[in-house]
Amino acid sequence: MPTVVVMDVSLSMTRPVSIEGSEEYQRKHLAAHGLTMLFEHMATNYKLEFTALVVFSSLWELMVPFTRDYNTLQEALSNMDDYDKTCLESALVGVCNIVQQEWGGAIPCQVVLVTDGCLGIGRGSLRHSLATQNQRSESNRFPLPFPFPSKLYIMCMANLEELQSTDSLECLERLIDLNNGEGQIFTIDGPLCLKNVQSMFGKLIDLAYTPFHAVLKCGHLTADVQVFPRPEPFVVDEEIDPIPKVINTDLEIVGFIDIADISSPPVLSRHLVLPIALNKEGDEVGTGITDDNEDENSANQIAGKIPNFCVLLHGSLKVEGMVAIVQLGPEWHGMLYSQADSKKKSNLMMSLFEPGPEPLPWLGKMAQLGPISDAKENPYGEDDNKSPFPLQPKNKRSYAQNVTVWIKPSGLQTDVQKILRNARKLPEKTQTFYKELNRLRKAALAFGFLDLLKGVADMLERECTLLPDTAHPDAAFQLSHAAQQLKLASTGTSEYAAYDQNITPLHTDFSGSSTERI
Amino acid sequence: MKIFSESHKTVFVVDHCPYMAESCRQHVEFDMLVKNRTQGIIPLAPISKSLWTCSVESSMEYCRIMYDIFPFKKLVNFIVSDSGAHVLNSWTQEDQNLQELMAALAAVGPPNPRADPECCSILHGLVAAVETLCKITEYQHEARTLLMENAERVGNRGRIICITNAKSDSHVRMLEDCVQETIHEHNKLAANSDHLMQIQKCELVLIHTYPVGEDSLVSDRSKKELSPVLTSEVHSVRAGRHLATKLNILVQQHFDLASTTITNIPMKEEQHANTSANYDVELLHHKDAHVDFLKSGDSHLGGGSREGPFKETITLKWCTPRTNNIVFSSISELHYCTGAYRISPVDVNSRPSSCLTNFLLNGRSVLLEQPRKSGSKVISHMLSSHGGEIFLHVLSSSRSILEDPPSISEGCGGRVTDYRITVVPLASVIVKESLTEEDVLNCQKTIYNLVDMERKNDPLPISTVGTRGKGPKRDEQYRIMWNELETLVRAHINNSEKHQRVLECLMACRSKPPEEEERKKRGRKREDKEDKSEKAVKDYEQEKSWQDSERLKGILERGKEDLAEAEIIKDSPDSPEPPNKKPLVEMDETPQVEKSKGPVSLLSLWSNRINTANSRKHQEFAGRLNSVNNRAELYQHLKEENGMETPENGKASRQ
Repeated sequence: MPTVVVMDVSLSMTRPVSIEGSEEYQRKHLAAHGLTMLFEHMATNYKLEFTALVVFSSLWELMVPFTRDYNTLQEALSNMDDYDKTCLESALVGVCNIVQQEWGGAIPCQVVLVTDGCLGIGRGSLRHSLATQNQRSESNRFPLPFPFPSKLYIMCMANLEELQSTDSLECLERLIDLNNGEGQIFTIDGPLCLKNVQSMFGKLIDLAYTPFHAVLKCGHLTADVQVFPRPEPFVVDEEIDPIPKVINTDLEIVGFIDIADISSPPVLSRHLVLPIALNKEGDEVGTGITDDNEDENSANQIAGKIPNFCVLLHGSLKVEGMVAIVQLGPEWHGMLYSQADSKKKSNLMMSLFEPGPEPLPWLGKMAQLGPISDAKENPYGEDDNKSPFPLQPKNKRSYAQNVTVWIKPSGLQTDVQKILRNARKLPEKTQTFYKELNRLRKAALAFGFLDLLKGVADMLERECTLLPDTAHPDAAFQLSHAAQQLKLASTGTSEYAAYDQNITPLHTDFSGSSTERI
Repeated sequence: MKIFSESHKTVFVVDHCPYMAESCRQHVEFDMLVKNRTQGIIPLAPISKSLWTCSVESSMEYCRIMYDIFPFKKLVNFIVSDSGAHVLNSWTQEDQNLQELMAALAAVGPPNPRADPECCSILHGLVAAVETLCKITEYQHEARTLLMENAERVGNRGRIICITNAKSDSHVRMLEDCVQETIHEHNKLAANSDHLMQIQKCELVLIHTYPVGEDSLVSDRSKKELSPVLTSEVHSVRAGRHLATKLNILVQQHFDLASTTITNIPMKEEQHANTSANYDVELLHHKDAHVDFLKSGDSHLGGGSREGPFKETITLKWCTPRTNNIVFSSISELHYCTGAYRISPVDVNSRPSSCLTNFLLNGRSVLLEQPRKSGSKVISHMLSSHGGEIFLHVLSSSRSILEDPPSISEGCGGRVTDYRITVVPLASVIVKESLTEEDVLNCQKTIYNLVDMERKNDPLPISTVGTRGKGPKRDEQYRIMWNELETLVRAHINNSEKHQRVLECLMACRSKPPEEEERKKRGRKREDKEDKSEKAVKDYEQEKSWQDSERLKGILERGKEDLAEAEIIKDSPDSPEPPNKKPLVEMDETPQVEKSKGPVSLLSLWSNRINTANSRKHQEFAGRLNSVNNRAELYQHLKEENGMETPENGKASRQ
């Protein structure tokens, strides 16, 4: 998930930090030092992360738009000027805009706010913002919670005591609360110095930027992989299952299924699965991403020539048009598949389904899926011409079962006209006539709309009188029979108004008469 | 997200007292005159629905939408109230469908206008509603059982939707008080019971409905907390379509629904089949399908509110699927989909709605596009059915955070060209414990095909994924292929006699080492020297092999004949020597098999030898003996041939 670094460049950041026996530092130097450490870490271990750099005082500015080029970010750090007072709210509004423009509202982002804990004065200060927070209209609402899934990490270039001496800490805590508790405040432990800043940023890295390593397994085949971006813990139901679920570091493939059968399933998130080569000490050699470092390059070249299960799996899934179902945890699954980025580049990708025994209704319970050979007969047919999926639901949905809805008059009129149309084509349309008639009868009985039954009965009687001379004699018989039955039902007496009972065609026999009839 | 929120349990309490039989005074013309009819016929007088009919059909519509979108875990209990309460169904999942409710309602029938109004009251129904809310649902039971000591986490909340005709505001107050009191009493009962649950939260939605044209005696009141357990709201609504509209708004509020209008749906005109017009269809679904619009505040997408100020719908444009590509676009493509939500058409029986739903139910998918003023086309959603259920899929339309990823061919193992991804039928068949005659035939067919391909010098279908430059030479590929095939078949030779036959066939067909091939070629050349150039030889060979393969096919088609396949091969002049003339290396150290009692054929003697050799191999795989940490280096010979220093077994090393 992308990162926005929001750096305070107000005058208070230039306050000197007294360090005995060394050159004088300002707080902004400490901040730059910490960020350098973060960027260096990302450049080596978290290369695919997009990061943007925003600076703010009373105004804000996007110094570096989202990039994976950490050199650019690093350069920008050393080119920062000092400005006026802190105005956090407008900077946070800026972050909202930048993120939404780039990624929309669904992609989780991490916001790393670097400040000294001086929150400004007067209008635009955080205190002022928080005090007026409840008096906002929709157009100038407070930017928190962010309108996208987020974590807000506040890196304070101050220690706890300093923050607690004013209400700064309280205000910052309010910010995290406003972001639905998503985030954390970091302060410097002990005196302000480079070493302690490093350890503070080290904590952030441990929390938010450690790569997720796992072992992908399929029977006896295994591969060490990095999953990027890190899969985040997921809460299924905050009330009955409040503990966030974390995915296994052993990713076991439990089966394979056709892409057509899995059919564009909804997923929580998707991740690149990058094979990593481990050297003798178990250290990571690299994910094979090209790097300027020569040592790593040659190591990568060797790694490239050692067969890897990920490549085999990727190629197989691509050729066969299938996905692999992977177990992420108890009652939690995901899928592995080949994802083409362009015509030339493609990759092994993993998507996470929602945890639960039945993440995709059209596949049924995951626990009930099994190998084809377990089935009595091949569910795909001998010629691979059918599929057991999608599963049919037990009850049909309203749009698939011809329900009767008469809320709009047109609905009722259409149903009556269907009966009328068929009535005029009796006896050819006897079956459809009675089918439509019974459909109407059932609905009228359920809705207690007995007047309608009477009305339609009258209408059929009228039709009877309007029959042309050329009409088949059966038409008249059926019409009056139907009308009579409807009239009886309209009395509501249980004998004639039973819901499950249908009006059946009158048995007539004209075989003896002049007309032919089958 | 909470499973057991108020929406888990909905109780409908519909008034069945005599006054509900009154007309809603909104007429419905049902006898529409059709063209070309005899002049002078007066259409039948319009009819009107009773308050009861309006209430029942509106609540059925509420249930229809709810069941379409949440077929599970959202439950309805239907109660009608007159001189007593009639509970029409239970919380069980089997009772949760429209057919059951319709049948039960038909059994109740319309209210009797001649019944004694003094005996009838909506209170009976409200009391029964509270009672039923205390009853545990199967989902609550399941969750409680699963959570064991944490069973108290399972919530019990619910909603009572009461449709009645109240007399006054104070009458409404009285109803509210009654519900509150009943909850209090029943919670006491439930506290001492194992199979009842206390109500934690109850939302009472009182709907006062009255005939069109009358003045309402009851005033609207928005949601108000009457006690920590009970909230109540009052809606005063005219009957007829007004009531239906109200319940439609309520179902959207109660289940967090949102509306999407699909626009520009091309549809054949009923009257003029050769023209088509564009139609709109409005669908309801969970509001999360609009998550991108809601958060980014893209309010310009919100279309006009056709049906009153409450209704907001987002318009998405139909993208006609390319006809020749229907199957491809809907089936073999894996879209990045961040959510899929069941839909329900607002106007389920209208012609545009049913055209759309039938189109989708037939297995086709439709991509939906955001109407944008500026040029770029953004596909944000997809409608697709899965097994008779239609889902609105949300497709990711924003920039991907995974863009420009490293290609797999650049990563670990990416430069290895030889992953044997193409699976020959033999490989999947031979691993079976027992083979049928047909399986054996299939395996043999595969082997002959390979022989045929080698003769024609066809390239092996090796995947080119990650290939850089040329792979190994073709004859080398074949040599590796045969080696591997032999290893595979040998690994399963002990399964049955039929496996044995596959090996025999393989051994018979296996190409010989190059020098032998060369020797044979030279021999033949010598014979044909007088009148044939080298090219002619090649031609001859190719023709010969074609004939052979044709002949083999013929033989295979006559497969039922019990001929030993290996022998047929031997007939061909190009066929390899019988396998026993060229013992394989690993067999040299094979000890003699025990003597059998009866007379033993040369074949079974030979196969016994191979079997023993293999069973020994099974005990300890050669690779495992030389492995480090149980990892054996594969394809070592490739590295040696490439003149590279072989890294230590199973490990990559820094250089």
